[in-house]
Amino acid sequence: MSTQLLIAALVAGSIYALIALGLNLIYGTMRLLNVAHGEVVMIGAYVAYWGISLLSVGPLVSALVAIPLAAALGAVIYLGLFRRAMRSAEFMERIEGNSLLVFFGVSVILQNVASLLFTPNQRGYRYQDEIVHFVGATVPVNKLIVLAIAGAVCVAAVLFFRMSTLGLAIKALIQQREAAALVGIPLARVELTSLCLGFAAAGLAGVLVSMTEEISPFMGFPLTVTAFVVVILGGLGNVLGSLIGGLLLGVLETFGVALTAPSYRSIMIYAVFIAVLLLRPQGLLGAGRSRT
Amino acid sequence: MMKKCGTIVAALGLAMIGVGNARAADPVRIGFSLPITGIFAPAAPSQKNAYELWRDQVNAKGGLDVAGTKRMVKFVSYDDQSDPGQAVKIYEKLIVQDKVDLLLGPWGTPHHFAVAGVLERYKFPMVGDTAASVQLRDLKPGYIWFPTSALPDEQGKQLPLLLKSLNVKTVAITTAQHPFALENKKFIVEGLKANGIEVVSNSDYPLDIRDMTALISSLKQANPDAELSLSMTGDSVLYTRQAKELGFTPRVQFVLVGPAATFFTKIFGDQVNGLLTMGHWSPSQTKWPKAKPFYDAYLAKYKEPPDYLDSALSYEACEITEQAVAKAGLDHEKLRQTISTETFDTIDGPVKFNGVVNATTPTMFLQYNNGVFEIVWPKSEATASVMMK
Amino acid sequence: MTGRIARAGGIVTAAALLAIALPFVANNYFVGVGFTLLVWIALTESWIVISGMTGYISLGHVVFIGIGAYIAALTWLVLPIWLILPLAGVAAAALATLVGYPCLRVRGPYFVILTFGLSELVKYVVVNIEAALAVSGRVLFGAPGVETLYFMALALAWASVIIAVAVRESRFGSALRAIRENEEAAETIGIAIGRFKAAAFVLSSIIPGMVGALMIMRSTYFDPLEIFSPQTSVLIVTMAVIGGSDRPLGPMLGVGFLILLQELLWANLPQLYMIVVGALLIAVVVWLPGGIYVRLQQMITAAAR
Repeated sequence: MSTQLLIAALVAGSIYALIALGLNLIYGTMRLLNVAHGEVVMIGAYVAYWGISLLSVGPLVSALVAIPLAAALGAVIYLGLFRRAMRSAEFMERIEGNSLLVFFGVSVILQNVASLLFTPNQRGYRYQDEIVHFVGATVPVNKLIVLAIAGAVCVAAVLFFRMSTLGLAIKALIQQREAAALVGIPLARVELTSLCLGFAAAGLAGVLVSMTEEISPFMGFPLTVTAFVVVILGGLGNVLGSLIGGLLLGVLETFGVALTAPSYRSIMIYAVFIAVLLLRPQGLLGAGRSRT
Repeated sequence: MMKKCGTIVAALGLAMIGVGNARAADPVRIGFSLPITGIFAPAAPSQKNAYELWRDQVNAKGGLDVAGTKRMVKFVSYDDQSDPGQAVKIYEKLIVQDKVDLLLGPWGTPHHFAVAGVLERYKFPMVGDTAASVQLRDLKPGYIWFPTSALPDEQGKQLPLLLKSLNVKTVAITTAQHPFALENKKFIVEGLKANGIEVVSNSDYPLDIRDMTALISSLKQANPDAELSLSMTGDSVLYTRQAKELGFTPRVQFVLVGPAATFFTKIFGDQVNGLLTMGHWSPSQTKWPKAKPFYDAYLAKYKEPPDYLDSALSYEACEITEQAVAKAGLDHEKLRQTISTETFDTIDGPVKFNGVVNATTPTMFLQYNNGVFEIVWPKSEATASVMMK
Repeated sequence: MTGRIARAGGIVTAAALLAIALPFVANNYFVGVGFTLLVWIALTESWIVISGMTGYISLGHVVFIGIGAYIAALTWLVLPIWLILPLAGVAAAALATLVGYPCLRVRGPYFVILTFGLSELVKYVVVNIEAALAVSGRVLFGAPGVETLYFMALALAWASVIIAVAVRESRFGSALRAIRENEEAAETIGIAIGRFKAAAFVLSSIIPGMVGALMIMRSTYFDPLEIFSPQTSVLIVTMAVIGGSDRPLGPMLGVGFLILLQELLWANLPQLYMIVVGALLIAVVVWLPGGIYVRLQQMITAAAR
């Protein structure tokens, strides 16, 4: 039984980690609270769905479209909405609150446009859903694929931020913005890249989610909430933190529920969420970042 | 001058005749609200489709028979954004502002409750449809009626009997934390006890649950003869999918809300075969001559089968309204009288109300059998016998 | 300062007197629209007492509405309505007192997310309580009609505006604004920031609690998943921001504008209404900080020149 639960926890956790990773990239570098993150996931999911329903193209191929599409969406939103506003000091003073509201507007628009275009009904497709027996547990192949891809991307992300120039630049930007500018890091370019990477991660997550679950125009919101829980657990702006936070949440959800009762799932998650916010807002891994 | 007067009088005369004719052809305006946006938006199409199918059929025959005169039907509808408070506002608007002739029901139990108060206040009769709760019985009779027979207390009595007839000795129950599911659980658990069937597992889960691995794993361990998934649409889908993934296949599987909806069979195809669900209508019922034609007409127009609960009930409400209006016209008190006392011939067989609820249609259960839901309980209404593994 | 409060009070009372006349001249449909308007005014004006004045944006204000509604549902037919309403307000205030202190020590975006988490937590707790009580939705039979509810909403809206104006013009309000501008500095000059923030929080919760009771009396049905819906919190924030969350007149503009828009777009494409709201929100935040109120003020000043 435990292997079964462990696999479920890992699959869920890896998706959470991937989504939170994107959110963290966007917040860490630019302090933008992207509450429309779940909607970007939704778009990725629909790209995969239409890919297979209309063009009989597998989701992994659709990902090649979904990922750049999501990144482009991020660029458009940033360049169109934020760049000019971010030049005003007043706007930047309350950047988190303002970005929250702007992205909220974006999410409402995306949800309702999707609902208008695609109808509000749930849709799903069957992909690689043969069951395999794996270390004492039964898992459909698609979940293993999800775990493999999400896991690989997360590991790649960790390496990226440790070893590549761009990754280090982004990390520098997150940790010490002014200093990063001083050492010659092209802020604007790195910011934009980071944003697009964040959106791209969400697009990929959407494709993965669509392989194992049904999709609908309103599927984004709960995912956004979960992503925020993970990000808080791991520390806002802390990339490694969101990976660990994601896994932690997956474990909490699966094993916590198994130990208590399914009806307490949401209570448990929000209680932990609130406790972390109250006691250690910088996250379990965050290094005493200033609270503002 | 005289000539001018004459022309004016003639023109007025013609105008009056014109007006007179126009009045005779005035459409009958029927108002309602549906959740076009908001969390219940996926539920609206099956009801809207049924309403529109009825309207088109009636208009094709020349219009609605209003105590002898035929008048075309025109809908006045609004989006209540899935909010019962909005529904209240809309129905008031329909009655007071738009001054509609008739009303049809909104979607969902809370919305019907909300609207019942409005109907009572304005003494406007309306046949409800997509609502089911024992608390309906507590509503003051007079201006609202419910044709459903899927009331939780009755289901709680009948489902254990069905299970007993299938030799089920142990049962596991999983319930979504939603009023309707919880209501059903209460009565089903009572009924199971009364029939000596053991409940080996009984858990609730939050409506927005995303992973049932732990839940279903524990069900596997409990190994019951039958599993009752008292789930609502979204989680029914999740349950059905994950049960298959985890290899949980009890002898008898009941899913409360979901299978009867069109998109469910679209997603799962033949995996739905053998699933038991609630419902009291099937096109296979030859006792009800109108049932199959409705199914065929819906399928032809919308390229998908109707929802066995929502679409059927909505259409029935239209039929009842149609037949009542043919007898009593549009006068509210006469309509009220008629609906309360007459027996109506619907796609679901004869319907007669006792107070607020349907007194003639028995509580039934459906089972999916190769493309169609058959009625499998009670035996007196069954269109097919229960398919067992 | 007293002069300004008196003048504002005078204007508000005059508006209230006009509003009182409404049910006598208009049919019940418009009274219903009036009810909706007044309810949202009461909610947004209460919201700005904490979020406008201190800058701590609460994204979980629906929790007070829900608690008030729950108390009303629990005491329905047990207590008379004139007791239920204040009790609902007290319950909301109790919750605010309980969580205010610890929550308000958390700053900026964390506070926003925290209030959201709090409202969801309370939602699921109530869902579980109801499930444990084997209660599935509560129907409120015999609730008062829209005319009565309208007057109650009017009283609450009037009170909320008076409170918002009084807070803004008082020393308490200045302290709150100082906290908003620079919390550390405010603390240095001796403002008891913890107590002041908590007080504002509690003050902002009372009327929403009572509004919650009103709302379920209108819909006559209590279901925790609906009444605690996060969408309500977001709508409050949206209306207040679009109107202008700085001055008491702002939210009224925001509410009026959005409700008017809703009335116009409803019948046609409902999703369009939501899309327009989303676009408006973006437009206001990006191009019109300060909301419609500030822009109107600028236009009026420009025209006066």
